[in-house]
Amino acid sequence: MKNPYSSIETEVLKVTTETPTIKTFLLKPKEKIAFKPGQFMEFSVPGVGEAPFTPSSDSQNTETMEITIVRVGRVTDAIHELEPGDTVGLRGPLGKGYPLTKFIGQDIVVVGGGVGLAPIRTLMYGLFNMRDQISKLVYRGGCRNPEEMLYRKELESWMDRKDLDMKLTVDQCDDTWNGPVGVVTTIMNDIDVDFSRARAIVCGPPIMMKFATFKLQELGIKDRNIYLSMEKNMSCGFGKCGHCRIGPYYCCKDGPVFTYDMIRDYPGIWE
Amino acid sequence: MKNDVNTHQMTSGRPLDKGLHAVYFIAMIFLKRIDLDRLLESLRADYRVYVPRVMGKGTGYSLLREGDTDYVIGEIRSFDPLKSFFFLGREKVAEGFSPRVPHEDKPPCIVGAKACDLKGFRILDFVFMDEEYGDPTYMRHRKEGLIISADCTGVGDTCFCTALDLNPWPEAEFDLNLSPVEGGFIVAVGSEKGRKLVESHSDMFGETEDKALADSAKKNRNDIRKRVAKNAKEKQIPSVDRLKRVMQKNYEEADLWKDSSRDCVECGACNTICPTCHCFLLYDQKADGRLARYRVWDSCMINDFARVAGGENPRDRLWMRLRNRFDKKFNYFPEVASEIACTGCGRCIAACPGKIDIREVLARLEV
Repeated sequence: MKNPYSSIETEVLKVTTETPTIKTFLLKPKEKIAFKPGQFMEFSVPGVGEAPFTPSSDSQNTETMEITIVRVGRVTDAIHELEPGDTVGLRGPLGKGYPLTKFIGQDIVVVGGGVGLAPIRTLMYGLFNMRDQISKLVYRGGCRNPEEMLYRKELESWMDRKDLDMKLTVDQCDDTWNGPVGVVTTIMNDIDVDFSRARAIVCGPPIMMKFATFKLQELGIKDRNIYLSMEKNMSCGFGKCGHCRIGPYYCCKDGPVFTYDMIRDYPGIWE
Repeated sequence: MKNDVNTHQMTSGRPLDKGLHAVYFIAMIFLKRIDLDRLLESLRADYRVYVPRVMGKGTGYSLLREGDTDYVIGEIRSFDPLKSFFFLGREKVAEGFSPRVPHEDKPPCIVGAKACDLKGFRILDFVFMDEEYGDPTYMRHRKEGLIISADCTGVGDTCFCTALDLNPWPEAEFDLNLSPVEGGFIVAVGSEKGRKLVESHSDMFGETEDKALADSAKKNRNDIRKRVAKNAKEKQIPSVDRLKRVMQKNYEEADLWKDSSRDCVECGACNTICPTCHCFLLYDQKADGRLARYRVWDSCMINDFARVAGGENPRDRLWMRLRNRFDKKFNYFPEVASEIACTGCGRCIAACPGKIDIREVLARLEV
């Protein structure tokens, strides 16, 4: 039988510094890894430990994978020390991901914040790949300041797409910024979709997810149509280790993407 | 299944239960104590045989070495939970980048296991044995391990298995069960593996038609159950069919949880000692240039248990963690696995330095 605890040997091909605390790692696993947008990987530095991350690259590419990582703790400190040629481990894909087939024929609103823009990029590639099958596509992204905006050039190039209603905002601006200033909910008022049927996807820091969800509710999107990418402490990644329980669910096995109606009644979901 | 003191599982000629835990029968089997010594000695060739030995005021498990006969069958559950041999406190689950599952040469044989501990398997099996992501190490121990259980012949102050609809004698999940009687044991066969064991060691297992022996085993079961039930009744624990409801009803009663957790020192003893607690963390280590991943018991009572690297913690208060522990046992598992994740073994009561008594917390839920 397979060993769900073992990692696939993986080479670091390239390291891109996105911001002073965020780097993107281009990885080449020795075995192909096929993942779906929203699924996550356990990324390990040999001898140091593992942590869960959602890839930020196109899921159609099974040869290499990009993961964007903020430096926040012991494992991510070690990850940020990595250089091209280093060997790391990847375990997964884990979790369920976004149910893209349920998005067919619907208006889609994507809301991303901060480092949440990383997994959202994978989702956007997935939505672009099926663009002719979905109705309106709206993207609202925000982060603290222009320096911290992940993939800024790429995002700004999406502004020109005729098939995407896109807006970006920052909490605090600098000389390089001509766009709106304010938290992401301040650029959600002009969203023009069929709210009674639209699907919304939210990914970002907990406080941003909370207020974006309330805003989407206010606009008239149904709780069962709001997809949230939950962040919990996940060790094993397949429902055994017990850390990431949310009511009757495990964030890893049953999520990490949940509709708001599934989890709204359980305590601590925004923490 | 829940026969009133079912010693006839040892004497009747047909399986009692056609379900999952069918009890196979051959005859009323009698095993002399000296033959048990011989049996265990011979099992050492194929198993790591662990036996309960007297330790302080109770018993604890240790390895049976050549010629050892200093073990005790009966009494009450040991200090250490049965899970420690199937879901080890610290166990290597992967090496390097190899998908091979590391394992010890010989599977475990646990002697004298008690009904409360065996019930723990219903939770651990639910967690660790699934088709898609089964835990290969746990599943191997379960498949290859041997369990020679025994009836309780004593009652601890903290025993309350009867309050959870459990009897103080094994009814399932064993290969062989021993009911201590004068001069030896009446043996019940609980699995195909147990049946083969009896057949292959036929020189050790005898047959008896001595009704007095069966009666004495039956009397012991009755007596012990009455004494546990008396203990449990004094504590006014909600009945099994009400536990999930009272847990849900009191979930938002913050004061109750604050008060109940007041003396908790977050040592995690209740978790490590519990036969159903299954939480763990994965720990990577590099020694002598070799990579190894270990599965290590974790404790949901410790502050960092659910904290994420970014700093958010859904249960940053101690009372929330105690509530979560109770919710997991009396609401979550009944919901997802139709099993209460408490076996009434009382180990957490005995182990708690803050003297938090699970029976008293449960009784408070009923008010």
